[in-house]
Amino acid sequence: MSATDLSIFENERDLTAQPGDERDTLVLSMGPQHPSTHGVLRVMLRLDGETVVTADPEIGFLHTGIEKQAENLFWQQAVTVVDRADYLAPLSNSLCYVLAAEKLLGIQNIPPRAQVLRVMFAELTRIASHLVQLGTHAMDLGAQSIFMYAFEMRERILEIMEFVTGARMHQSWFRIGGLAIDVPKGFLDKMDDFIGRFPERLSDIRAILEKNIIIMDRLIGVGKMTAHEAVEWGMTGPILRASGVAYDVRKAFPYSGYETYDFDICTRTSGDSYARFVVRLDEMYEAWRIIKQAREKFPDGPVTIDDRKILPPPKTEIQHSMEALIHHFKLVSSGFNVPEGHIYQAVESPRGELGMYVTSAGGNKPWRVRWRPPSFYNLQALRKLAPGNLVADVVAIIGSLDPVFGEVDR
Amino acid sequence: MAEVKAGRAATAALLAQLAADLGASLLDAVSAADMDEAVIVAAGLLPAVDAVRANGFNLLLDIGATDHHPLTPRFEISYHFLALPEDAVAGSIPSSGVVPARFRLRVFPDDRDPVVPSLCGRWPNADWPEREVYDLFGVRFDGHPDLRRILMPDDWEGYPLRKDYPLRGLNRRFNPGGLPGPVPPVVTK
Amino acid sequence: MEMSPQQPFITTKLDEFTKWAQTSAIWPMTMGLACCAIEMMSIVSPRYDTSRFGAEVFRSSPRQSDLMIVSGRVANKMAPILRQLYDQMPDPKWVISMGACASSGGIFDNYAVLPGVDSILPVDVYVPGCPPSPDALIYALMQLRREIAAGGKANVLARG
Repeated sequence: MSATDLSIFENERDLTAQPGDERDTLVLSMGPQHPSTHGVLRVMLRLDGETVVTADPEIGFLHTGIEKQAENLFWQQAVTVVDRADYLAPLSNSLCYVLAAEKLLGIQNIPPRAQVLRVMFAELTRIASHLVQLGTHAMDLGAQSIFMYAFEMRERILEIMEFVTGARMHQSWFRIGGLAIDVPKGFLDKMDDFIGRFPERLSDIRAILEKNIIIMDRLIGVGKMTAHEAVEWGMTGPILRASGVAYDVRKAFPYSGYETYDFDICTRTSGDSYARFVVRLDEMYEAWRIIKQAREKFPDGPVTIDDRKILPPPKTEIQHSMEALIHHFKLVSSGFNVPEGHIYQAVESPRGELGMYVTSAGGNKPWRVRWRPPSFYNLQALRKLAPGNLVADVVAIIGSLDPVFGEVDR
Repeated sequence: MAEVKAGRAATAALLAQLAADLGASLLDAVSAADMDEAVIVAAGLLPAVDAVRANGFNLLLDIGATDHHPLTPRFEISYHFLALPEDAVAGSIPSSGVVPARFRLRVFPDDRDPVVPSLCGRWPNADWPEREVYDLFGVRFDGHPDLRRILMPDDWEGYPLRKDYPLRGLNRRFNPGGLPGPVPPVVTK
Repeated sequence: MEMSPQQPFITTKLDEFTKWAQTSAIWPMTMGLACCAIEMMSIVSPRYDTSRFGAEVFRSSPRQSDLMIVSGRVANKMAPILRQLYDQMPDPKWVISMGACASSGGIFDNYAVLPGVDSILPVDVYVPGCPPSPDALIYALMQLRREIAAGGKANVLARG
């Protein structure tokens, strides 16, 4: 079923066919421009009446060549393109890349302040991403107002992001060896304000949606996946947890000091779209709990390691010291070399286990950055989930899988 | 064979079994910083995967490729596996979460005709990543039911993620000015 | 347009009436490509609220929309589809190229991404930024309104 193969579009109706017959089906091309495909996905649906017989997602309409681009940038520069893969959670992407590069470099002593800020912002990103999913998914199901609530809350997070990093979406704030800049004055007040407001806002949305009869009707029992099937199809993140498997990279393979935070893995056992929806609501609350703990322990100190071979010296030093100037020039013009080796680093992105298999050939550019994009694998399971459901349910299932095409296609 | 680090009991048993099952097909077994890994020849992939699966690695995390050009062997196909304990999958959820393990297989197929056995018969989710590797690297998967391009257009020429493929492509189809060439011509007023 | 206080009717020229109608209800197409699409969605959110300018009605069908916001990088695979969508839109139609990637390819100077959507579509307004903030997109919308009021497609900026 390729783009150039037009035979699929031929819907010659065989009048002798009976309902339920193989020949009595219709092929419907959904997408790539479709409001509920959350981007540029095309699904070839074979329909019997209104029931889906087969669903074949076609991807690649947003293939950006990010992996190739990253190979052609210095290690530190590649953070910028890495950000743009999963554009709903850019900081999760750069966190994964940065951790992988730090492991290859053997950097162990990331300052505690940077660690705490990394966790804090990764969780803020998680909330922002889940809010977009919630808003757009609810809109797919016909609830317009939730979109407004969700985006209003998301704006508050983006405001903090812009205040700290200068960018609303692609922050590129995590760097190999720490953070790009320290937080400005007044950051903690903003965080306190957010921490104070968020639970009430979240419970507002919960109150509207969780027991809403339309939402329950549209989602319960739709796109069901047992735990074994979820494992078989390589699902991770909220979808795996909604099927009852308590696997979370933050608990299983802790990074950035997640082992010091107290939070629960949110699971449901029914494995349908409704379970995924509730798991995401729960996860937002858990993310808030982590942010609150990070705020409480917020330490003083530097946000970068003190290594002039990795990070440039502060500007004031460059103006006085010749050596500092040389370091700065060297880093800007040719970057730094990373020892030869390969490493698999994973983080828990809002969509699941985001892994990067980074290979270094000893040069100043990554030899290969291979993604393990969670939504690539999650979306693939649409072939399993969609058949047997109605066309309208396919929309609900795609929404509950939460694919981000920047990440699926890279 | 390198020594196996302590605390990786599941993978230690697996490595021992791999050594017994594969014999000469097992080229190397390393306990890397992130996880244990085994380097095998392409012909030994399916038995190795069966051994991996029999040792509890039930989730196929990723299939990826790396081009080591101009080194030989050129292509590396890396398989990442995750072991989720069976009781966690069966529904008894421990509150603290499961304690899984990861494992990596690396395969270096032949340079002139890179072919690797397909894992589609073992895991349904091997389909798309294998198509992606075929699309971007030109490595074929023997036994794949539907091996065609997935990310690039069907009529695309070349395999973009190979190291000898230029970053800007061989022939951009939608150049400003419409002229083909490796680098878009500069548009001047 | 002239309105006399004594008489309950308006006199105007047909041209000006058409322009007034076109500027006051620009209906964009629901077509999100990449990162910028999220910021494009934000302009209908309560904080930015483009319904103030009559542009909040995102139409899912190209047949019903006046404005195509190219929100994100255009991959080679997507380019023919984009052109087809543009051809399906009824005249008069406008295009906003949102963000660095749509305008020039941005940081992705590689085999996969189109070096600027203006190689396949006539673009009316370019918005810089990666991604542009919703304010920037609203400014572009205002710019487009001014352009329509000043003569519509006569003075487009694009190279076509």
